Amino acid sequence: MTSTDPAAFFREMLGEWEKMANKVGGDFARSDEFTRAMHGATAATMSTQEAISAMMTRALAAANMPSRTEIEDLSGRLGRIEDQLARIEAALGGKPERPARPKPSRTRKPPEKKG
Amino acid sequence: MATAAFDVLDGAAREFERAMQRNLKGLEYFQTGGPTLGATPKDVLIERGTMRLYHYHPRADDVYRVPLLLVMATTNRGYIFDMVPGQSLVEYLLDAGFDVFMLDWDAPRADERNLSLESYVLDFLPAAVARVKEESGEDDVTVVAYCFGGVLSLLWAALHPDDGLANLVTFTTPVDFSRMEMFQSWADRRFFDVDRLVDTFGNCPGDYLYTAFDMLRPGQRAAGNIRLYDNLWNDDFVKAYRMFDRWSADILPLAGEYFRQTTKKLMWGNELIEGTLEVGGRRVDLGNINVPFLHVAAEHDHIVPTAASAPLVGMVGSKDKNEIVLKGGHVSLVAGGNAIKRLWPNLVEWLGVRSI
Repeated sequence: MTSTDPAAFFREMLGEWEKMANKVGGDFARSDEFTRAMHGATAATMSTQEAISAMMTRALAAANMPSRTEIEDLSGRLGRIEDQLARIEAALGGKPERPARPKPSRTRKPPEKKG
Repeated sequence: MATAAFDVLDGAAREFERAMQRNLKGLEYFQTGGPTLGATPKDVLIERGTMRLYHYHPRADDVYRVPLLLVMATTNRGYIFDMVPGQSLVEYLLDAGFDVFMLDWDAPRADERNLSLESYVLDFLPAAVARVKEESGEDDVTVVAYCFGGVLSLLWAALHPDDGLANLVTFTTPVDFSRMEMFQSWADRRFFDVDRLVDTFGNCPGDYLYTAFDMLRPGQRAAGNIRLYDNLWNDDFVKAYRMFDRWSADILPLAGEYFRQTTKKLMWGNELIEGTLEVGGRRVDLGNINVPFLHVAAEHDHIVPTAASAPLVGMVGSKDKNEIVLKGGHVSLVAGGNAIKRLWPNLVEWLGVRSI
Protein backbone atom coordinates (compact mmCIF):
# COMPACT_ATOMS: atom_id res chain seq x y z
CA MET A 1 0.00 0.00 0.00
CA THR A 2 1.48 3.34 -0.95
CA SER A 3 0.82 6.53 0.99
CA THR A 4 -0.97 9.39 -0.71
CA ASP A 5 0.36 11.82 1.88
CA PRO A 6 3.22 13.85 0.34
CA ALA A 7 4.38 14.98 3.81
CA ALA A 8 4.73 11.36 4.93
CA PHE A 9 6.64 10.62 1.74
CA PHE A 10 8.95 13.55 2.41
CA ARG A 11 9.62 12.33 5.97
CA GLU A 12 10.39 8.86 4.70
CA MET A 13 12.78 10.30 2.14
CA LEU A 14 14.46 12.41 4.82
CA GLY A 15 15.08 9.25 6.87
CA GLU A 16 16.53 7.52 3.81
CA TRP A 17 18.73 10.51 3.01
CA GLU A 18 20.02 10.59 6.59
CA LYS A 19 20.92 6.89 6.47
CA MET A 20 22.72 7.37 3.17
CA ALA A 21 24.54 10.51 4.37
CA ASN A 22 25.66 8.70 7.52
CA LYS A 23 26.88 5.73 5.50
CA VAL A 24 28.65 7.65 2.72
CA GLY A 25 29.93 10.39 5.05
CA GLY A 26 31.01 7.79 7.61
CA ASP A 27 32.93 5.78 5.01
CA PHE A 28 34.68 8.92 3.83
CA ALA A 29 35.42 10.07 7.39
CA ARG A 30 37.05 6.69 8.05
CA SER A 31 39.45 7.06 5.11
CA ASP A 32 43.14 7.90 5.43
CA GLU A 33 42.64 10.95 3.19
CA PHE A 34 40.05 12.44 5.49
CA THR A 35 42.03 11.68 8.64
CA ARG A 36 45.17 13.20 7.15
CA ALA A 37 43.27 16.34 6.07
CA MET A 38 41.53 16.65 9.44
CA HIS A 39 44.75 16.43 11.40
CA GLY A 40 46.44 18.74 8.89
CA ALA A 41 43.80 21.36 9.72
CA THR A 42 44.30 20.75 13.45
CA ALA A 43 48.07 21.08 13.04
CA ALA A 44 47.58 24.42 11.23
CA THR A 45 45.36 25.63 14.10
CA MET A 46 47.99 24.53 16.60
CA SER A 47 50.77 26.33 14.70
CA THR A 48 48.69 29.52 14.74
CA GLN A 49 47.95 29.04 18.43
CA GLU A 50 51.64 28.50 19.23
CA ALA A 51 52.67 31.59 17.25
CA ILE A 52 50.04 33.80 18.90
CA SER A 53 50.89 32.39 22.29
CA ALA A 54 54.62 33.14 21.86
CA MET A 55 53.85 36.65 20.60
CA MET A 56 51.48 37.36 23.49
CA THR A 57 53.98 36.05 26.04
CA ARG A 58 56.63 38.45 24.67
CA ALA A 59 54.17 41.36 24.59
CA LEU A 60 53.01 40.70 28.17
CA ALA A 61 56.60 40.38 29.37
CA ALA A 62 57.45 43.71 27.71
CA ALA A 63 54.46 45.32 29.47
CA ASN A 64 55.57 43.77 32.79
CA MET A 65 52.35 41.75 32.94
CA PRO A 66 51.97 38.10 33.95
CA SER A 67 51.59 35.62 31.11
CA ARG A 68 48.76 33.11 30.79
CA THR A 69 51.08 30.35 31.96
CA GLU A 70 51.98 32.31 35.07
CA ILE A 71 48.29 32.98 35.85
CA GLU A 72 47.55 29.27 35.33
CA ASP A 73 50.39 28.37 37.71
CA LEU A 74 48.95 30.76 40.30
CA SER A 75 45.50 29.28 39.80
CA GLY A 76 46.98 25.80 40.25
CA ARG A 77 48.67 26.84 43.49
CA LEU A 78 45.41 28.34 44.76
CA GLY A 79 43.61 25.12 43.82
CA ARG A 80 46.13 23.07 45.79
CA ILE A 81 45.73 25.38 48.81
CA GLU A 82 41.93 24.95 48.57
CA ASP A 83 42.36 21.17 48.45
CA GLN A 84 44.61 21.27 51.51
CA LEU A 85 42.09 23.47 53.35
CA ALA A 86 39.31 21.03 52.48
CA ARG A 87 41.40 18.14 53.84
CA ILE A 88 42.18 20.07 57.04
CA GLU A 89 38.50 20.98 57.41
CA ALA A 90 37.52 17.34 56.93
CA ALA A 91 40.14 16.19 59.44
CA LEU A 92 38.80 18.69 61.99
CA GLY A 93 35.28 17.39 61.44
CA GLY A 94 34.02 20.63 59.95
CA LYS A 95 31.38 20.28 57.24
CA PRO A 96 29.46 22.91 55.33
CA GLU A 97 26.18 23.82 56.98
CA ARG A 98 23.28 21.98 55.39
CA PRO A 99 19.68 22.07 56.53
CA ALA A 100 18.95 18.97 58.61
CA ARG A 101 16.56 16.58 56.88
CA PRO A 102 15.14 13.44 58.42
CA LYS A 103 17.14 10.46 57.22
CA PRO A 104 15.11 7.62 55.74
CA SER A 105 15.32 4.16 57.26
CA ARG A 106 17.34 1.69 55.17
CA THR A 107 15.26 -1.46 55.42
CA ARG A 108 13.46 -1.43 52.09
CA LYS A 109 12.86 -4.78 50.38
CA PRO A 110 12.20 -5.29 46.67
CA PRO A 111 8.57 -5.84 45.73
CA GLU A 112 7.60 -9.50 45.43
CA LYS A 113 7.45 -10.76 41.87
CA LYS A 114 3.95 -11.28 40.57
CA GLY A 115 2.99 -14.73 39.32
CA MET B 1 -10.66 6.78 -5.77
CA ALA B 2 -12.92 9.00 -3.64
CA THR B 3 -11.17 7.71 -0.49
CA ALA B 4 -7.79 8.64 -1.93
CA ALA B 5 -9.06 12.14 -2.70
CA PHE B 6 -10.34 12.50 0.86
CA ASP B 7 -6.95 11.29 2.19
CA VAL B 8 -5.17 13.97 0.16
CA LEU B 9 -7.59 16.67 1.37
CA ASP B 10 -7.27 15.50 4.99
CA GLY B 11 -3.51 15.46 4.69
CA ALA B 12 -3.45 18.93 3.12
CA ALA B 13 -5.70 20.32 5.89
CA ARG B 14 -3.47 18.77 8.56
CA GLU B 15 -0.30 20.11 6.98
CA PHE B 16 -1.89 23.58 6.65
CA GLU B 17 -2.78 23.52 10.35
CA ARG B 18 0.75 22.42 11.24
CA ALA B 19 2.29 25.11 9.03
CA MET B 20 0.29 27.73 10.94
CA GLN B 21 1.40 26.25 14.25
CA ARG B 22 5.00 26.14 13.04
CA ASN B 23 4.98 29.87 12.33
CA LEU B 24 3.53 30.69 15.76
CA LYS B 25 5.67 28.27 17.72
CA GLY B 26 8.76 29.02 15.64
CA LEU B 27 8.76 32.55 17.09
CA GLU B 28 8.25 31.11 20.56
CA TYR B 29 11.20 28.75 20.01
CA PHE B 30 13.64 31.60 19.52
CA GLN B 31 12.14 33.71 22.30
CA THR B 32 12.29 31.08 25.04
CA GLY B 33 15.03 28.96 26.53
CA GLY B 34 14.85 25.21 26.78
CA PRO B 35 13.52 23.35 29.80
CA THR B 36 15.52 23.47 33.04
CA LEU B 37 17.64 20.34 33.23
CA GLY B 38 19.19 18.51 36.18
CA ALA B 39 16.92 20.19 38.72
CA THR B 40 16.16 17.29 41.09
CA PRO B 41 17.00 18.66 44.59
CA LYS B 42 20.46 17.69 45.76
CA ASP B 43 23.34 18.59 48.05
CA VAL B 44 26.85 19.11 46.72
CA LEU B 45 29.09 16.95 48.90
CA ILE B 46 32.38 17.50 47.08
CA GLU B 47 33.35 20.34 44.76
CA ARG B 48 37.02 19.93 44.01
CA GLY B 49 38.34 21.21 40.67
CA THR B 50 36.69 19.15 37.95
CA MET B 51 35.10 16.75 40.46
CA ARG B 52 31.54 17.07 41.78
CA LEU B 53 29.76 14.67 44.11
CA TYR B 54 26.03 15.14 44.56
CA HIS B 55 23.60 13.55 47.00
CA TYR B 56 20.00 13.66 45.81
CA HIS B 57 17.35 14.20 48.47
CA PRO B 58 15.66 10.84 49.11
CA ARG B 59 11.99 10.71 48.14
CA ALA B 60 11.06 7.59 50.11
CA ASP B 61 10.76 7.18 53.89
CA ASP B 62 12.37 3.76 53.62
CA VAL B 63 15.23 3.23 51.16
CA TYR B 64 17.32 0.23 50.15
CA ARG B 65 20.24 -0.31 52.50
CA VAL B 66 22.96 -0.02 49.83
CA PRO B 67 23.48 3.51 48.48
CA LEU B 68 23.80 3.94 44.73
CA LEU B 69 26.52 6.03 43.07
CA LEU B 70 26.07 7.09 39.44
CA VAL B 71 29.39 7.74 37.68
CA MET B 72 29.26 9.99 34.63
CA ALA B 73 31.51 9.84 31.58
CA THR B 74 34.23 12.49 31.66
CA THR B 75 33.22 13.95 28.29
CA ASN B 76 29.63 14.81 29.22
CA ARG B 77 27.46 16.35 31.90
CA GLY B 78 25.61 14.16 34.36
CA TYR B 79 22.22 15.75 33.75
CA ILE B 80 21.62 13.13 31.06
CA PHE B 81 20.54 11.10 34.12
CA ASP B 82 18.32 13.92 35.36
CA MET B 83 16.68 15.65 32.40
CA VAL B 84 13.23 16.89 33.50
CA PRO B 85 10.60 15.55 35.91
CA GLY B 86 9.10 12.41 34.41
CA GLN B 87 12.19 11.88 32.24
CA SER B 88 14.84 11.59 34.93
CA LEU B 89 16.61 8.36 35.84
CA VAL B 90 17.60 9.95 39.15
CA GLU B 91 13.96 10.70 39.98
CA TYR B 92 12.96 7.19 38.89
CA LEU B 93 15.57 5.62 41.17
CA LEU B 94 14.60 7.88 44.09
CA ASP B 95 10.94 6.94 43.64
CA ALA B 96 11.92 3.26 43.50
CA GLY B 97 13.50 3.67 46.95
CA PHE B 98 17.22 4.14 46.26
CA ASP B 99 19.55 6.56 48.02
CA VAL B 100 21.19 8.18 45.00
CA PHE B 101 24.54 9.96 44.63
CA MET B 102 26.27 11.11 41.46
CA LEU B 103 29.92 11.61 40.58
CA ASP B 104 29.79 14.32 37.93
CA TRP B 105 32.41 16.48 36.24
CA ASP B 106 32.90 20.13 35.47
CA ALA B 107 35.25 21.35 32.75
CA PRO B 108 38.82 20.85 34.01
CA ARG B 109 40.53 24.18 34.63
CA ALA B 110 43.68 25.09 32.70
CA ASP B 111 45.78 24.22 35.73
CA GLU B 112 44.21 20.75 35.86
CA ARG B 113 45.88 19.75 32.59
CA ASN B 114 48.12 17.38 34.55
CA LEU B 115 45.26 15.27 35.88
CA SER B 116 45.86 11.72 34.77
CA LEU B 117 44.08 8.38 34.62
CA GLU B 118 45.53 7.83 38.10
CA SER B 119 43.81 11.01 39.35
CA TYR B 120 40.42 9.66 38.31
CA VAL B 121 40.92 6.00 39.30
CA LEU B 122 43.05 6.32 42.42
CA ASP B 123 41.83 9.66 43.77
CA PHE B 124 38.43 10.93 42.56
CA LEU B 125 36.56 7.62 42.56
CA PRO B 126 37.88 6.39 45.94
CA ALA B 127 37.18 9.84 47.45
CA ALA B 128 33.61 9.77 46.13
CA VAL B 129 32.98 6.22 47.37
CA ALA B 130 34.41 7.06 50.81
CA ARG B 131 32.14 10.10 51.07
CA VAL B 132 29.07 8.10 49.98
CA LYS B 133 29.84 5.54 52.68
CA GLU B 134 30.30 8.27 55.28
CA GLU B 135 27.09 10.07 54.27
CA SER B 136 24.97 6.92 54.17
CA GLY B 137 26.57 5.18 57.14
CA GLU B 138 26.89 2.00 55.08
CA ASP B 139 30.03 0.00 54.31
CA ASP B 140 29.17 -0.88 50.73
CA VAL B 141 28.06 1.00 47.64
CA THR B 142 26.52 0.13 44.29
CA VAL B 143 28.19 1.85 41.32
CA VAL B 144 26.24 2.49 38.11
CA ALA B 145 28.45 4.02 35.43
CA TYR B 146 27.98 5.30 31.90
CA CYS B 147 30.36 4.93 28.94
CA PHE B 148 33.88 6.04 29.93
CA GLY B 149 32.62 6.46 33.48
CA GLY B 150 32.22 2.69 33.21
CA VAL B 151 35.86 2.25 32.19
CA LEU B 152 37.02 4.32 35.17
CA SER B 153 34.73 2.36 37.50
CA LEU B 154 36.04 -0.97 36.18
CA LEU B 155 39.63 0.14 36.72
CA TRP B 156 38.82 1.37 40.23
CA ALA B 157 36.89 -1.81 41.09
CA ALA B 158 39.69 -4.05 39.80
CA LEU B 159 42.33 -2.17 41.79
CA HIS B 160 40.26 -1.75 44.97
CA PRO B 161 38.50 -5.10 45.53
CA ASP B 162 38.19 -4.36 49.28
CA ASP B 163 36.77 -0.86 49.00
CA GLY B 164 33.17 -1.89 49.66
CA LEU B 165 31.74 -2.28 46.17
CA ALA B 166 28.38 -4.10 46.46
CA ASN B 167 27.26 -4.21 42.81
CA LEU B 168 28.64 -2.83 39.56
CA VAL B 169 26.52 -1.81 36.59
CA THR B 170 28.03 -0.36 33.45
CA PHE B 171 26.22 1.08 30.44
CA THR B 172 27.82 1.04 26.97
CA THR B 173 31.33 0.58 28.31
CA PRO B 174 34.11 -0.24 25.83
CA VAL B 175 36.96 -2.62 26.62
CA ASP B 176 38.10 -3.54 23.10
CA PHE B 177 39.06 -0.17 21.68
CA SER B 178 40.14 -1.70 18.38
CA ARG B 179 36.43 -2.15 17.63
CA MET B 180 35.68 1.57 17.93
CA GLU B 181 36.42 1.89 14.26
CA MET B 182 35.70 5.54 13.61
CA PHE B 183 37.64 6.75 16.63
CA GLN B 184 40.44 4.36 15.68
CA SER B 185 40.69 5.97 12.24
CA TRP B 186 40.82 9.46 13.69
CA ALA B 187 43.32 8.51 16.39
CA ASP B 188 45.59 6.85 13.80
CA ARG B 189 49.09 7.50 15.12
CA ARG B 190 50.41 8.06 11.58
CA PHE B 191 48.40 11.29 11.46
CA PHE B 192 47.41 12.18 15.02
CA ASP B 193 50.08 13.87 17.13
CA VAL B 194 48.46 13.67 20.57
CA ASP B 195 51.60 14.98 22.30
CA ARG B 196 51.56 18.15 20.25
CA LEU B 197 47.84 18.66 20.81
CA VAL B 198 48.15 18.34 24.58
CA ASP B 199 51.37 20.37 24.72
CA THR B 200 49.72 23.14 22.72
CA PHE B 201 46.25 23.33 24.22
CA GLY B 202 46.87 21.96 27.72
CA ASN B 203 43.47 20.31 27.94
CA CYS B 204 41.87 18.66 24.93
CA PRO B 205 39.30 21.27 23.81
CA GLY B 206 35.61 20.41 24.11
CA ASP B 207 35.00 21.74 20.57
CA TYR B 208 37.45 19.19 19.22
CA LEU B 209 35.57 16.36 20.93
CA TYR B 210 32.19 17.78 19.92
CA THR B 211 33.23 17.79 16.25
CA ALA B 212 34.44 14.19 16.57
CA PHE B 213 31.13 13.04 18.07
CA ASP B 214 29.20 15.02 15.48
CA MET B 215 31.13 13.49 12.59
CA LEU B 216 30.28 9.96 13.70
CA ARG B 217 26.93 10.55 12.00
CA PRO B 218 27.51 13.19 9.37
CA GLY B 219 23.86 13.38 8.26
CA GLN B 220 22.33 13.56 11.69
CA ARG B 221 22.56 17.28 12.42
CA ALA B 222 21.10 18.44 9.08
CA ALA B 223 18.30 15.86 9.22
CA GLY B 224 17.66 16.75 12.87
CA ASN B 225 17.23 20.43 12.03
CA ILE B 226 14.78 19.60 9.24
CA ARG B 227 12.87 17.31 11.60
CA LEU B 228 12.76 20.04 14.22
CA TYR B 229 11.21 22.46 11.70
CA ASP B 230 8.76 19.78 10.60
CA ASN B 231 7.73 19.16 14.22
CA LEU B 232 7.72 22.71 15.56
CA TRP B 233 3.94 22.36 16.07
CA ASN B 234 4.55 19.48 18.49
CA ASP B 235 5.50 20.75 21.97
CA ASP B 236 6.65 17.36 23.24
CA PHE B 237 8.96 16.85 20.27
CA VAL B 238 10.45 20.34 20.65
CA LYS B 239 11.00 19.85 24.39
CA ALA B 240 12.77 16.53 23.85
CA TYR B 241 14.83 17.96 20.96
CA ARG B 242 15.98 20.90 23.07
CA MET B 243 16.93 18.67 26.00
CA PHE B 244 19.01 16.26 23.97
CA ASP B 245 20.47 18.92 21.66
CA ARG B 246 21.64 20.95 24.64
CA TRP B 247 23.15 17.92 26.35
CA SER B 248 24.93 16.62 23.26
CA ALA B 249 26.45 20.05 22.58
CA ASP B 250 27.56 20.40 26.20
CA ILE B 251 30.80 18.49 25.74
CA LEU B 252 33.50 18.90 28.36
CA PRO B 253 37.19 19.37 27.58
CA LEU B 254 39.37 16.53 28.79
CA ALA B 255 42.34 17.02 31.09
CA GLY B 256 45.46 16.97 28.90
CA GLU B 257 47.49 14.18 30.49
CA TYR B 258 44.39 12.05 30.92
CA PHE B 259 43.59 12.48 27.21
CA ARG B 260 47.19 11.68 26.25
CA GLN B 261 47.18 8.53 28.40
CA THR B 262 43.80 7.24 27.22
CA THR B 263 44.81 7.83 23.60
CA LYS B 264 48.11 5.99 23.96
CA LYS B 265 47.13 3.23 26.37
CA LEU B 266 43.63 2.47 25.15
CA MET B 267 43.17 3.74 21.58
CA TRP B 268 46.68 2.85 20.43
CA GLY B 269 47.74 0.09 22.80
CA ASN B 270 44.30 -1.44 23.50
CA GLU B 271 45.92 -2.31 26.83
CA LEU B 272 42.76 -3.10 28.77
CA ILE B 273 41.81 -6.09 26.67
CA GLU B 274 45.46 -7.04 26.14
CA GLY B 275 45.82 -7.26 29.93
CA THR B 276 48.82 -4.91 29.97
CA LEU B 277 47.16 -1.78 31.35
CA GLU B 278 48.81 -0.33 34.43
CA VAL B 279 47.38 2.46 36.55
CA GLY B 280 49.67 3.95 39.17
CA GLY B 281 52.16 1.16 38.50
CA ARG B 282 49.61 -1.58 39.22
CA ARG B 283 48.45 -4.03 36.57
CA VAL B 284 44.66 -3.97 36.00
CA ASP B 285 42.95 -7.36 36.00
CA LEU B 286 39.18 -7.20 35.61
CA GLY B 287 39.11 -10.77 36.92
CA ASN B 288 39.56 -9.19 40.38
CA ILE B 289 35.98 -7.89 40.19
CA ASN B 290 33.84 -10.43 42.01
CA VAL B 291 30.69 -8.50 42.91
CA PRO B 292 27.37 -8.89 41.04
CA PHE B 293 27.92 -7.30 37.65
CA LEU B 294 25.58 -6.12 34.91
CA HIS B 295 26.52 -4.59 31.57
CA VAL B 296 23.90 -2.98 29.37
CA ALA B 297 24.69 -2.36 25.71
CA ALA B 298 22.65 -0.57 23.04
CA GLU B 299 21.92 -2.43 19.84
CA HIS B 300 22.42 0.63 17.60
CA ASP B 301 25.21 2.35 19.52
CA HIS B 302 27.27 4.42 17.05
CA ILE B 303 29.74 5.66 19.68
CA VAL B 304 30.54 2.40 21.50
CA PRO B 305 29.57 -0.38 19.07
CA THR B 306 28.44 -3.57 20.80
CA ALA B 307 31.59 -5.31 19.50
CA ALA B 308 33.70 -2.92 21.62
CA SER B 309 31.94 -3.91 24.85
CA ALA B 310 31.11 -7.55 24.05
CA PRO B 311 34.20 -9.09 25.77
CA LEU B 312 33.56 -7.21 29.02
CA VAL B 313 31.32 -9.72 30.82
CA GLY B 314 33.78 -12.53 30.07
CA MET B 315 36.67 -10.53 31.54
CA VAL B 316 34.99 -9.79 34.87
CA GLY B 317 35.57 -12.39 37.60
CA SER B 318 32.06 -12.27 39.11
CA LYS B 319 29.89 -15.39 39.24
CA ASP B 320 26.70 -13.32 39.24
CA LYS B 321 27.17 -11.44 35.96
CA ASN B 322 25.03 -10.68 32.99
CA GLU B 323 24.82 -8.59 29.85
CA ILE B 324 21.66 -7.30 28.28
CA VAL B 325 21.49 -5.69 24.88
CA LEU B 326 18.55 -3.34 24.50
CA LYS B 327 17.15 -1.59 21.47
CA GLY B 328 18.31 1.97 21.12
CA GLY B 329 21.42 4.06 20.65
CA HIS B 330 24.18 5.33 22.92
CA VAL B 331 22.04 8.10 24.41
CA SER B 332 18.50 6.77 23.98
CA LEU B 333 19.57 3.73 26.00
CA VAL B 334 19.86 5.81 29.18
CA ALA B 335 17.45 8.73 28.64
CA GLY B 336 14.20 9.51 26.88
CA GLY B 337 11.08 7.54 26.13
CA ASN B 338 12.81 4.27 25.22
CA ALA B 339 14.91 4.25 28.38
CA ILE B 340 11.84 4.74 30.57
CA LYS B 341 10.25 1.64 29.02
CA ARG B 342 13.33 -0.55 28.61
CA LEU B 343 16.42 0.19 30.69
CA TRP B 344 15.06 1.80 33.84
CA PRO B 345 12.62 -0.97 34.94
CA ASN B 346 15.27 -3.62 34.18
CA LEU B 347 17.84 -1.71 36.22
CA VAL B 348 15.55 -1.24 39.22
CA GLU B 349 14.57 -4.91 39.19
CA TRP B 350 18.19 -6.08 38.95
CA LEU B 351 19.41 -3.71 41.67
CA GLY B 352 16.47 -4.13 44.08
CA VAL B 353 17.22 -7.72 45.08
CA ARG B 354 20.94 -6.91 45.38
CA SER B 355 20.61 -3.75 47.48
CA ILE B 356 19.22 -5.10 50.78
